[in-house]
Amino acid sequence: MSEHAMQTARNYETGKLQVVIGAVLLIIFLSAIYSIQVSGVANLLDYDREIEARVPTFLVRMFFVLMALVATFMIFTSTALYKRNRVACAPWMFLSVGMTFFLVYVIVPIFQSISYSFTRWNGLYDITGNWTGEWVGFYNYRLLFDDPNFVTSLINNVLWLALFMLAVPIGLAIALFLNQTVTGIRFYKSLFFFPFVISQVVVGLIFTWAYNPEFGLLSEAWSVFFCEEKENIVGNMTKVCSIDPPSILGEAKYATYGIIAAGLWPQIAYCMILYLTGLNNVSPDQIEAGRLDGAKGWNMLWYVIIPQLKPATFIAVVVTVIGSLRSFDMIATMTQGGPFGSTNVLAFYMYDQAVGEGVGRYGYGSAIATVLFAIMLCFISVFLWRMYQDEKVVH
Amino acid sequence: MFPTPVEKLSPSINIGYRFLLPLTLFIWLLPLLAIFMTSIRPVIDINTGNVFGIPSQFNLIENYTTVFAKTDAWLYMTNTLIITIPTVIISVALACITGYALAVYKFRWALPLFFVFVAGNFVPFQILMLPVIDMSNRLEILNTVPGLVMFHAAFQTGFCTLFMRNFMKALPFELIESARIEGVDEFRIFWYLVLPLVKPAIAALSVLIFTFIWNDFFWATVLLQDDAKLPITVGVRSLNGEFVSQWHLISAASLLAAVPPVIMFFLAQKHFIAGLTLGATKG
Repeated sequence: MSEHAMQTARNYETGKLQVVIGAVLLIIFLSAIYSIQVSGVANLLDYDREIEARVPTFLVRMFFVLMALVATFMIFTSTALYKRNRVACAPWMFLSVGMTFFLVYVIVPIFQSISYSFTRWNGLYDITGNWTGEWVGFYNYRLLFDDPNFVTSLINNVLWLALFMLAVPIGLAIALFLNQTVTGIRFYKSLFFFPFVISQVVVGLIFTWAYNPEFGLLSEAWSVFFCEEKENIVGNMTKVCSIDPPSILGEAKYATYGIIAAGLWPQIAYCMILYLTGLNNVSPDQIEAGRLDGAKGWNMLWYVIIPQLKPATFIAVVVTVIGSLRSFDMIATMTQGGPFGSTNVLAFYMYDQAVGEGVGRYGYGSAIATVLFAIMLCFISVFLWRMYQDEKVVH
Repeated sequence: MFPTPVEKLSPSINIGYRFLLPLTLFIWLLPLLAIFMTSIRPVIDINTGNVFGIPSQFNLIENYTTVFAKTDAWLYMTNTLIITIPTVIISVALACITGYALAVYKFRWALPLFFVFVAGNFVPFQILMLPVIDMSNRLEILNTVPGLVMFHAAFQTGFCTLFMRNFMKALPFELIESARIEGVDEFRIFWYLVLPLVKPAIAALSVLIFTFIWNDFFWATVLLQDDAKLPITVGVRSLNGEFVSQWHLISAASLLAAVPPVIMFFLAQKHFIAGLTLGATKG
């Protein structure tokens, strides 16, 4: 008993010291945050221009903010309030930094974007720092539906969504094909996964080249079926084709399909790896039981295996939906929305309208982004609902 | 095991499978192989249409050194590293503490806050773009590397927290509980007890985030304009405009951009796949 009292007393003592140190540090850091200025850092680090001093100033500020936070925690953890409610207070302290970051950079901007969509604005402020836009209500949304490019983008997004879903069954097929134990299979599995690791920009470039009608991979395959080598009048060998190879990215009716096919390549790899992991965890007892009941081939797959792969399917669908609605990199690399705006999707069209060359339609761009967000939100709600059901089962 | 192992099936299927395997792999990776073959050809082969035949000259070293000599490829590579490494450190560190708070403490807000992180992780980038540009501009960090790193770190915190929280949820809770009864401070429990247990998760996350950030294109185009600060993904795309139809150089540069994530993947394959498939097995 007395030992416990001693312990409490010691805690109290260190607590007092902690408060004093914490308070001193907090004052130092807060005054540092207040006093630090770009020009001051420029002088201190001997920079010629103030513009160059911005980055170090920002970093120094960040450092002081962080230190001030630590000092605040030092004070707070020594108070009686914290000591009595340790378990209740601790999570908020752990959450504070990450949550602030996430709020500032992700959650708040969503609402800001939605509010921009009701304005006409070019992203600029006047000399005194005042906002130069004006409120226009639903004007941007009314414009949207008269904009043929927006309608094309919306249709293309639906196409992307529908065709991207093919990645799930194809991924499952490849996973079933590779789920064997022959020597070197691990090597094969990782090579099949390879396209996912490569940047989408690089995949886009690879396929731009592959689709090239003159010397691409596709033209090469094409010539096997439709072309033959003939001797022309001068005596040189030339390629003569009965049907000319199509220029996939150059023609409005093929271009979107071409890009989706390119996008499927890494996505199939991702779905495949999800299913391979899932197949690894399928219970052997159930397969054995199914075999005893005479299930084979398709029946076995449909009634025994696929139900057990449900978690993998869920994740595969989630990442595929998100991936299809986020398609930006490929379009930016392969066609930049062309030919004649036929490959635009909402994600790219929004970028083009808001910060593309010569345009600065922040309000209109935000309206497009809001529509895209609304579509995504439908899916996000379903995912969260599913996750919530799972969580309820666990607890 | 499903499907039935080929060893147990008829010998013809068994042998057929072993032949089919390399063949499908070849078709699957055909675009990649073809682009590699292109990257080691002299320009004349491409103009004469020799895509699949044996190159008339093997220009492996020559083409790749040209990429480095003629362009800023090296600068772009180092830029990407400067962006990627701090982002990985910050977002993984943040995810450890937020994930810990959301996994270990049973308070009313734990699940709603967790769902906020999950939902935020799924939103389209475009809805964040303009406010983030505006804010970076006001903080005077637009067009700077720290500005991009801050955004990446904040955004990736969503995914990392999702990952860490689920990983920590699977830890034996009795361990933490008994430490608490012993009177160990919450911060010490985190540092000395939980952190060592989640090392595999930290490794998996680091590898994943490294690849994600290395391959990022959108945010680098949006938040950086200065040519000297661009990462390799944006750099490679601008090379595409520079070397019009000099495909041997474009392909060499593209493949160079893909090398570091590929190395990362092969070095830490186990972690990488564990990270991507977390949640694909439970339930």
